[in-house]
Amino acid sequence: MIEVKKVNKSFTLFNQNNAKITVFKNLNFKVNPGEIVALKGPSGIGKSSILKMIYGSYIIDKGAIIINNKNIATLSAQEILKLRKTSIGYVSQFLKVIPRISALDVIMEPLLNSGDNKNNAYKKSIKLLKDLNIEKNLWHLSPLTFSGGEQQRINIARGFIKDLPYLLLDEPTASLDSRNRDIIINLIKAKSNRGVSIIGIFHDEYSRKKLNVREIDLNIETKH
Amino acid sequence: MIIPILKVTNLSKSYDNIVGCKNISMSLYPGEVLGIVGESGSGKTTLINCLSGNLEPDRGKIIFNINNKETDFLNISESEKRKFIRTDLAFVHQNPRDGLRLNVSAGGNIGEKLMSVGYRHYGNIRSLATKWMNKVEIDKSRIDDLPITFSGGMLQRLQIAKNLITSPNVIFMDEPTGGLDVSVQARVLDLIRSLVNELNLTVIIVSHDLAVIRLLADKMIVMKNGTVIESGLSDQVLEDPQQEYTQLLVSSVLNV
Ligand SMILES: Nc1ncnc2c1ncn2[C@@H]1O[C@H](COP(=O)(O)OP(=O)(O)OP(=O)(O)O)[C@@H](O)[C@H]1O
Ligand SMILES: Nc1ncnc2c1ncn2[C@@H]1O[C@H](COP(=O)(O)OP(=O)(O)OP(=O)(O)O)[C@@H](O)[C@H]1O
Ligand SMILES: [Mg+2]
Ligand SMILES: [Mg+2]
Repeated sequence: MIEVKKVNKSFTLFNQNNAKITVFKNLNFKVNPGEIVALKGPSGIGKSSILKMIYGSYIIDKGAIIINNKNIATLSAQEILKLRKTSIGYVSQFLKVIPRISALDVIMEPLLNSGDNKNNAYKKSIKLLKDLNIEKNLWHLSPLTFSGGEQQRINIARGFIKDLPYLLLDEPTASLDSRNRDIIINLIKAKSNRGVSIIGIFHDEYSRKKLNVREIDLNIETKH
Repeated sequence: MIIPILKVTNLSKSYDNIVGCKNISMSLYPGEVLGIVGESGSGKTTLINCLSGNLEPDRGKIIFNINNKETDFLNISESEKRKFIRTDLAFVHQNPRDGLRLNVSAGGNIGEKLMSVGYRHYGNIRSLATKWMNKVEIDKSRIDDLPITFSGGMLQRLQIAKNLITSPNVIFMDEPTGGLDVSVQARVLDLIRSLVNELNLTVIIVSHDLAVIRLLADKMIVMKNGTVIESGLSDQVLEDPQQEYTQLLVSSVLNV
């Protein structure tokens, strides 16, 4: 379960006359195991910020986010690193491409980093590349030159390769054609059927319907 | 509970009346990569020189804990310290010429390092050296060549091989890609990254290049005027910096 409790978040832009952007005051919601929650609301309302606070890449100003009985707001850097490794998969909106590393290596890396053996990691990654419909001749190339949709699928593969209990998805179906979108939707469903708690941002009604999500409308949640 | 492999408390070092670094406290855990950033003169080199035994700090505590053995780095005898530095620490210099002997062959440079930790058998040394030349992508036919015949990128890769071949526990790197062309930098970075992953190295790396830190470091500290002004997970410090100076640093580069 993920529990967001009385969370406040703002940004202070020191180099722009200390302008303060308040994103949330007293944000509360829960996600149960196996549930898919979709964050909804207009651009700039704070959807991505929520995922980043849960993942620990944005500071939580006030309140608590509880995962595995741990409060992200008070964990040390190395505790967050450990929690990420054992529990949280995160698919950012865009792949951060690492020069000279092949698509296959990008996907294998999370497995190898948590001690999986090379052979196993290789087999799992190849299977996922096939499931994701990535052409074989791309596997050994750097995703640097891939199309937007191909890069996105590599990014998803990297986030999905391990069996982790929590998944954070920032627009995973955004730049995909309908066939590839359906492939991703099925992968997300499969994760959910295995009890994974999922929080996603899905720009299209189609994905939300197909995934049978529970919507959290941030326009309502953040009205105060 | 995991014990930090390195714990630093209130470390300070001045040069006469110039502050080098001041009241530095931090912890590093096994397998972590820590990035140190900050403007020129902010004390980055001073700090890692103190931590690696190249400089004697004025005050503070440095505790290493390697395989459950605690070493109070500033309170051991000179000979113990020299042995500890030789077997447990490694230092990759910005200028590979500072970390290599230029009048000794590539293989000799690596072999010397092995001998310093007790290797004696010539065949073993030679084969291990060859293996490491291969690992850092230097053709093994170059093993008997002098480093002066190597390019800058090759020299840096040789220095890395020389430092890592003895499996040190904590590795310090001061701007390891600083003196290299951009195209060569990518290759050296890529090498460091793959070695860090493969060997699960614990590393402290100084770089003024935030992209390097983003690529390699799990955690980072930001230094200014000799002190640490911000620290945390690298992605957190880069994406949601809390200090005015860090925001300035991050906003002055594109796409980190
Ligand atoms: N790192 C940051 N520094 C400063 N302000 C930020 C930062 N990240 C987000 N913001 C601000 O916080 C608010 C919420 O941004 P966020 O990216 O969470 O919105 P979003 O709902 O995901 O929007 P979109 O649908 O456009 O992706 C915006 O006003 C944004 O400008
Ligand atoms: N041997 C020395 N004698 C006197 N002052 C020194 C000495 N070494 C460094 N300093 C001073 O200590 C301060 C910190 O220097 P240091 O070399 O640690 O900075 P740095 O952050 O590594 O900078 P750079 O990015 O330029 O390498 C500077 O003001 C520097 O002039
Ligand atoms: Mg967003
Ligand atoms: Mg320096």
